[in-house]
Amino acid sequence: MPERLRQALPSVLSVLLALAVCWSLIALTMTPGTATAAYVEMLWGGIGNWPAWLNGAAATVITRPLGEAAMKAALLTLTGLSVAVAFKVGLFNIGAQGQMILGALAAAVVGAHVSLPAVLHIPAALVAAALAGAAWAGLAALLKLYRGVHEVISTIMLNWVALRLVDNWLVIGPLRGVAEGGQSITGTAEIQATATLPRLLGELSRLNLGFPLALLLAVVVWLWLERTRTGFETRAVGLGAEAARTAGVPVAKRTGVAMALAGAMAGLAGAVLVLGTEGRYPGTLGAPYGFDGIAIALIGNNHPLGAMGAALFFGVLRAGGTRMQLLDVHKSFPELIQGLALLFVAGRMVWLALLRRHEAAASVASVEVPRA
Amino acid sequence: MLEVLHALLFSTLDAVPALVFAALGAVLSERAGVVFVGLEGMMRVGAFCAAVAALVMPMSLAVGVGMLAGAALAAVHGFLSIRWRSDQVVSGIALNLVALAGGTFLLESLYGPNGTPALPQAARWDVPGLASVPVLGALSGHSAPTYLALVLPFALQALLTRTPLGLRLRAVGDKPHAVATLGLSVAGLRWGAVLGGGLLAGLGGAVLSTCVLGRFEQHTPAGLGFIALAAMVFGRWTPVGAFLAALFFAFGDALRIGLASSAPGLLEVVPQGMLQALPYVLTLALLTLQGQRSSAPAALGVPYEQESR
Repeated sequence: MPERLRQALPSVLSVLLALAVCWSLIALTMTPGTATAAYVEMLWGGIGNWPAWLNGAAATVITRPLGEAAMKAALLTLTGLSVAVAFKVGLFNIGAQGQMILGALAAAVVGAHVSLPAVLHIPAALVAAALAGAAWAGLAALLKLYRGVHEVISTIMLNWVALRLVDNWLVIGPLRGVAEGGQSITGTAEIQATATLPRLLGELSRLNLGFPLALLLAVVVWLWLERTRTGFETRAVGLGAEAARTAGVPVAKRTGVAMALAGAMAGLAGAVLVLGTEGRYPGTLGAPYGFDGIAIALIGNNHPLGAMGAALFFGVLRAGGTRMQLLDVHKSFPELIQGLALLFVAGRMVWLALLRRHEAAASVASVEVPRA
Repeated sequence: MLEVLHALLFSTLDAVPALVFAALGAVLSERAGVVFVGLEGMMRVGAFCAAVAALVMPMSLAVGVGMLAGAALAAVHGFLSIRWRSDQVVSGIALNLVALAGGTFLLESLYGPNGTPALPQAARWDVPGLASVPVLGALSGHSAPTYLALVLPFALQALLTRTPLGLRLRAVGDKPHAVATLGLSVAGLRWGAVLGGGLLAGLGGAVLSTCVLGRFEQHTPAGLGFIALAAMVFGRWTPVGAFLAALFFAFGDALRIGLASSAPGLLEVVPQGMLQALPYVLTLALLTLQGQRSSAPAALGVPYEQESR
């Protein structure tokens, strides 16, 4: 079996097992027929209803679902990249959620309160979000490097600090938006039209610039890690900080930069959410894409492109999840599939042991055949 | 003034048991070297199962069901992280995600989005002769979990510091190889601690839904598991320390809620969000000050391998 396939196999098997377990869950609580129908709805809700289109429905039955899937995939790709990049330097970034919250807030503020032409406004809002996320993640890196505070604890704490300060104070207090009639609204003020990410297919779907941006960043991060000296040094630190230090790698600098980059990715996820779909920082960010990023990165085997693949897959499932409601299955069902898949990926060693036993059995069999 | 203090203490003691039990569960598991990030998920499962059970059986049995549910989730954590040496943080996060989405799915398919029906009120016990004493009277009139929460931390502290079993549990979190040298089972001790932690986490969740909230809501426990983790860190991984930290956090919360209704003007000077962020900020500040001398168990999060050194 090729090495690359062997690396990916536990993830693929985990996702398949999660799909099977969740199918049985619906089959047990409802009927097997409903379970199958719900999965079919999920598929059409994610990749577009091709049968309906072939039967003469408008093109939107395909473009709308695909657009929704792409939006979710963009967010998952960015937060997944955030976690994966931190892993490469040996840090577990549980703080993508907090970094994303701050990025979203920064994008909402720059989008609403700065006046620029669109060519400058969108980049300005994106950069502000990336910087805000990077700063929040950088805090965890500084605590780790100079005070030895474990990043798992510090990023968990920073998540909740960000959530409480933004959702329970800034957004309902100083930064609360005011509607045209003078009434205050939930969340921050609407961003200006110049800061809105343009839609790529116009009225056909909500697909916006965030999706190609996320894919591009995944490829750039992958190339950076694989093809540049600093990327190589970053991976070296992750594989063994002491060995890297002995070899002359500036460990503290690589750690700090990688963590800041991780924060920037999560911050950009917040920006894509605010500038692309929400139009402002809503009362609360809703789905915890930052935590999902952990699942995406690990299912993608901590590889930037693997994370992108996992994000595309779960983007499709989660866009399709809304369609499952037609059959009374809650729309958070794909999140259950995703959580279970992560749980099975965590049992990576189990898979590898099973695969090894299978291969061993196969090789024994092949030896025995000529003897017989 | 005394009446205000009485009211604050009373609501603190009413709300604190869930936090205390969860924090104790985390202390137990982490002292044995197994990271307990899945605490929030275990609480959620415990809260859900206890609430569902409380609709058909007596409260005390329902709480037991919640504890078993927490332990069941902890068993998954133990299977992955002890038996298969998986990354303990990954396993815990996965359990959180599964419990979050799975809880929502089951709640919606069984009861609809608004949570379970309201549960019967838990019985409240008066401490004879204490109810009329100023301030101290706040100790009287709580349901059973509050009194358990006032005793259990000291019992666990005694177990960990004064008994051979406690010494072994602490040793397995600091230097597992030394424990193995004595012919003791590292995996066995860690399994015990993780399952015990799961029981306590489930108890915390069960108490939250049956006694504190009186129902299971869609977002239960809404981050309480993470505050419990903060309390554990803030209490330097000791049962009594975690208990005091939990009391402190719960008192702060009671104060905030009290201020919101009695003196809303003050909250415009110090916004609620800032007060809510305070437990986490304080925990971070403490860790920053402690720096390398952190009191975390030495082998925390390191899977045990017999052959490694």
